[in-house]
Amino acid sequence: MLSGVCGRLASALRGTRAPPSAVALRCVHASSSRPSADKSERTEKPPRAFDQALLEFLVCPLSKKPLRYEASTNELINEELGIAYPIIDGIPNMIPQAARMTHQNKKQEEVEQH
Amino acid sequence: MMCQAECRHYLQFSFQLPDVYQVFESVAKKYDVMNDMMSLGIHRVWKDLLLWKMRPFPGTQLLDVAGGTGDIAFRFLNYVQAQHQRKQKKQLRAQQNLSWEEIARKYQNEEDSLGGSRVMVCDINKEMLKIGKQKAHAQGYKAGLAWILGDAEELPFDDDKFDVYTIAFGIRNVTHIDQALQEAHRVLKPGGRFLCLEFSQVNNPLVSRLYDVYSFQVIPVLGEVIAGDWKSYQYLVESIRQFPSQEEFKEMIEDAGFQKVTYENLTSGIVAIHSGFKL
Repeated sequence: MLSGVCGRLASALRGTRAPPSAVALRCVHASSSRPSADKSERTEKPPRAFDQALLEFLVCPLSKKPLRYEASTNELINEELGIAYPIIDGIPNMIPQAARMTHQNKKQEEVEQH
Repeated sequence: MMCQAECRHYLQFSFQLPDVYQVFESVAKKYDVMNDMMSLGIHRVWKDLLLWKMRPFPGTQLLDVAGGTGDIAFRFLNYVQAQHQRKQKKQLRAQQNLSWEEIARKYQNEEDSLGGSRVMVCDINKEMLKIGKQKAHAQGYKAGLAWILGDAEELPFDDDKFDVYTIAFGIRNVTHIDQALQEAHRVLKPGGRFLCLEFSQVNNPLVSRLYDVYSFQVIPVLGEVIAGDWKSYQYLVESIRQFPSQEEFKEMIEDAGFQKVTYENLTSGIVAIHSGFKL
């Protein structure tokens, strides 16, 4: 897709005198932020890294306790309840139904304790 | 997936959830176009009025719930940025004769063009958020914006965090409105403001008749022609009729703990902005 846009821009530059600057800017911006154009052909945008500053605001919707960001699995983990919320495309999914249970045995022990 | 008790809790309330969820999943891509068609572009004015009523100052922390495609969030960012630019202009006029050390210091201080303002967009629907994120990317909004998938009845935010909570055309789709209002109260800072822009009851009989004809005869047809989805837009129109009146909704907001609750009718009451404060 990127090569197509650049190709169109190139032909526009050759053909007409004033290509729309917005297209030019976008093309430049896109080419600078995505050096590997072929790899990113599959996804619309590269998934952005999770912004750690959000951790100040986000809590587990069930227990309202703070979460820990796990970079390896890209999840937000509530240690107490043993659940992990996934982050998809840079958007944390904080719906309880979507949460995954971590350490199932540990979770059952905790439940029995309570 | 989750422990048994919690699963049961969510199952008993989730029967209604899939319907609304599926409606917005199917309308997400055409959401903005349909809004323009159905309201003849007036929804833009309504949303602008919501921002003007809010009058956010730089540094405001906004939580926009059910704000999937980002209409309110983008307007907020524009407003705050424009305010900041105006302030800068005034500052520049007053600072025409700075010493060069002061000028050098200015270059060192990286000024946040939003003045610390931030908006978090929370929506229960992934598709709507995806569209919103794409729009933000296309229109160049980067700083001060966060997208979160969350349930308005069970917000994933800590207490006393936000200056303003807005929900525009979203609260009528929430299963338990009182829970959403309580959550709104919880996450707002003391002194924080709750603002709700929602369809309401028309107070003028002539307008009411025209509105009914338009709603039931024209909108589902538009829905079918433009979005290929009659049922979703039928649902939309019916959900508007089922929503409580201005006074009833005002009482619900008061019940959640808000004070100085007021409402303002727009377009003869087709839409109303309710406002309350957490004091």
